[in-house]
Amino acid sequence: MSYHRYHISCEACPDVARHPNRFRVRVIRWRLARMLLHELFHYRFNLPVVTSRPCVYGTFSGPIGGFAPRPSQCVGCLRCTIEYPDMVRVRPNPERRGLGDSYFTPDKVDTVVQEAATGQIPVRGAGYRGAFGGEAWDGMWTDMSEIVRPTRDGIHGREFISTAVDLGERPGVLTFDGAGVPSVPLPHSFSLPIPMLFDAPPLSVEDPILCRVLAEAAGRLQTLAILPLPRLLALGIRSPAVAPLVRPEEIEATVQLREAPPMLELDGWDDGAYRALKTRFPVTPVYVRLPLEHDPLPVARSGVRLFHVTADYHGRAAGVFVGEAVRSSHAALVKAGIREEAVLLGSGGIIAAADVAKAIVCGLDAVALDTAALVALQGRLEGECLDRGTARVALPRFEEAWGVQRLCNLAGVWRDQLLEILGAMGLREVRRLRGEHGRAMFQADLEREAFAGIAGFEG
Amino acid sequence: MEFPPRLSDLPLIAARHTGAIRRGLCRWSRAASPPPALGDRRWPAELILSTWLQAETGAPAASAPTTGASAGGFDRLAFRELPASEWLPEVRPIDLAIPLNRRAWDPPIEIPVPWYGAGMSFGSVSERVMLARAMAARRCGTFTCTGEGGYPDSLVPYREHVITQIATGMFGVREETIQRARIVEFKYAQGAKPGLGGHLLGDKATMAVAKMREAVPWVSLFSPFPFHSVYSVEDHRKHVDWVKAINPEALVAVKVSTPTDVDMVAVGSYHAGAHILQIDGAYGGTGAAPEVAKKDIAMPVEYAIPKVHRYLTAEGVRDELTVLASGGIRTADDVAKAVALGADGAALGTAELIAMGCTRCANCERGRGCTYGITTTDPELSLFIDPEWAAERVGNLYAAFAARLRDILRHLGLPSVRALRGRTDLLEYRPGPRGAAA
Repeated sequence: MSYHRYHISCEACPDVARHPNRFRVRVIRWRLARMLLHELFHYRFNLPVVTSRPCVYGTFSGPIGGFAPRPSQCVGCLRCTIEYPDMVRVRPNPERRGLGDSYFTPDKVDTVVQEAATGQIPVRGAGYRGAFGGEAWDGMWTDMSEIVRPTRDGIHGREFISTAVDLGERPGVLTFDGAGVPSVPLPHSFSLPIPMLFDAPPLSVEDPILCRVLAEAAGRLQTLAILPLPRLLALGIRSPAVAPLVRPEEIEATVQLREAPPMLELDGWDDGAYRALKTRFPVTPVYVRLPLEHDPLPVARSGVRLFHVTADYHGRAAGVFVGEAVRSSHAALVKAGIREEAVLLGSGGIIAAADVAKAIVCGLDAVALDTAALVALQGRLEGECLDRGTARVALPRFEEAWGVQRLCNLAGVWRDQLLEILGAMGLREVRRLRGEHGRAMFQADLEREAFAGIAGFEG
Repeated sequence: MEFPPRLSDLPLIAARHTGAIRRGLCRWSRAASPPPALGDRRWPAELILSTWLQAETGAPAASAPTTGASAGGFDRLAFRELPASEWLPEVRPIDLAIPLNRRAWDPPIEIPVPWYGAGMSFGSVSERVMLARAMAARRCGTFTCTGEGGYPDSLVPYREHVITQIATGMFGVREETIQRARIVEFKYAQGAKPGLGGHLLGDKATMAVAKMREAVPWVSLFSPFPFHSVYSVEDHRKHVDWVKAINPEALVAVKVSTPTDVDMVAVGSYHAGAHILQIDGAYGGTGAAPEVAKKDIAMPVEYAIPKVHRYLTAEGVRDELTVLASGGIRTADDVAKAVALGADGAALGTAELIAMGCTRCANCERGRGCTYGITTTDPELSLFIDPEWAAERVGNLYAAFAARLRDILRHLGLPSVRALRGRTDLLEYRPGPRGAAA
């Protein structure tokens, strides 16, 4: 068996649907004509000087120059409007307000679309431009170390960081008989090379091509796509990278699965259904999908150790943000002494690469991507997208290969950013990040420490 | 239709656009409403315009905003001014000087304003911009820093005011560049990309930049993280010894980022022999950084300053180390707030570039990305920055900052900026929802 380094093959995969420009550019043509005429004489018909443009990005480099600007080229440097205040106006494109929703903001949509299109980490100049903190993931920062590295090999040592996670059964102890033979069934464990799965899409977009793209992308990434059992059966999707999502009333239909899937997920807690699945698929780890606000401990007392905890698409669970709710669930499992046996897979509100790391810091073992995957496929969120049942997403028409590459790009770029974050911390594997609250800084804590005693601060 | 310019046309083209840019900066800074697409929450349009105005006039703008719209950190803090009857009189001089060496040995260096220019490398900005910053530093009696891209010869006449930076890539670090500096800075980390090392994308690694860095042109240059020779405070001490062996008179500055244990890092730097500690917060500027690093890794400097100040005080060494805050210092008010939180002063970066006409469009990572000729290495675009003009703008900004800082101190009844250090009792917090507009 030879050594194999995990690698996600990313390649440029341009948008199939028009993505709104960031800016609109308006030129007052008669003023431009007047200026050109004036400058023709002023510069004695030196055309290279007269027609030199205040833009290096090609906004005014179309066939008739500034008379027909190309806003798709505009990056917002504003040199044109600074140089010619009376002639050129650059405005934010109001069309962008329609991107995403109140949680998946236009800037977040831009980032995900760019990541999926280019397969490259967004790198830009200047500093951070947004709000100072926030109630959601924005109110949390990951730690870094000035000295510690994952390894001193390579430039950053990043090449040696593992993003593999163990998501199968992991009992606290194994028992053996006198002959050294295990006296209990061996655990059914499995690992994924990235802490990211694809979650079941909203009911409004469970179309065949999307399901096939999710399954195929999961296969290429060596991860899993969670897909509803009825859709799998109807579409005849048979992939070792698919984890069927089974509702309690669909248990009987599982007989139609020809092979034991790598993972099963029971949608909601039902003791009978859970036992039936375990009996029918004795070697398959069975997850129980629970809303995050649902206390996992009573379910754990029934012997369940594998949980998929879900917040809504805005990261809310009974009014609490997903990060905080996961910290509570993680802490409850730690206190009960079963955290090392349990696996917490989570979804909801994870829409950026950093959110993956932050969710793991809070206590998840891995995350399942929902709206981010749809946005990577240029899905337009229609209205507020809150949950699988009610969210409406309009997907463009696309080829299966395109969709698969877009999702691979997204996963590849997010993994690369996870490596950056782990590298900055000096961690060599993502498993060590799980529940390491000391590797994160929370705005409320930092403010209390920094501003306590300042008049007006009541943190 | 394109009319490719001849080489002889370039000065004329540069003059045409330079004039237009300067007129535009002047006009917009006085306009009733800003360009609609200008600004962001850290640097709202009004703040950028008021910085342009200060850079032009050298005086604080009367109605200038003193905060951004980020709804946190400095933007939530204000000063609790005394009643006007208790303000210090205008005639009373207010002392803004701070010492950079607080130890009993090594040369005493004092700067007349509580800030100096933060490191910006040749590559991240043009040589003309570096030169302008050095000229401004000399005029104001403070310092500027080379960043990690080497020490261009054009800066040598200003060496008394130029800090040589040694960063992990060791780009352009030579014995003579250490010997000519009064202060040598070790950059352990940068706030905008903590834990990630330096990034100079291939576009910007021109022949000149590569030559200065002793690297291959047009190849992206990533400096490693961290120093591969440093595993501990003791190893850092070794670095300090190494610099002192080459230049015994040099003060040593250490630039670090803001991890959760930034207080321990600070005391470690002290014990390693540093004279100056620059804590570079997460929201600092950069020539190029992954977006994920700018926001999500390491804490903003507003939280790090009190942590460091209190810990150094508790350790009994606070008065032996000069602490400078950077990474999000935009105005004189930010400088004052940083000092009130516990810093001695600040290091300025982005504010200086804004003074030169930067609009914060965030395209600095590209070779021909900065159309104003500031964060570019393109020989044509860099013609837009005349070092004399830019130095005048930066010097004016310094003067405006100094005037505003004196006003703040006068209204607090303090005779010097040193008296403001750690005076959180003079601050007030203006609460509001986190992340919402201030």
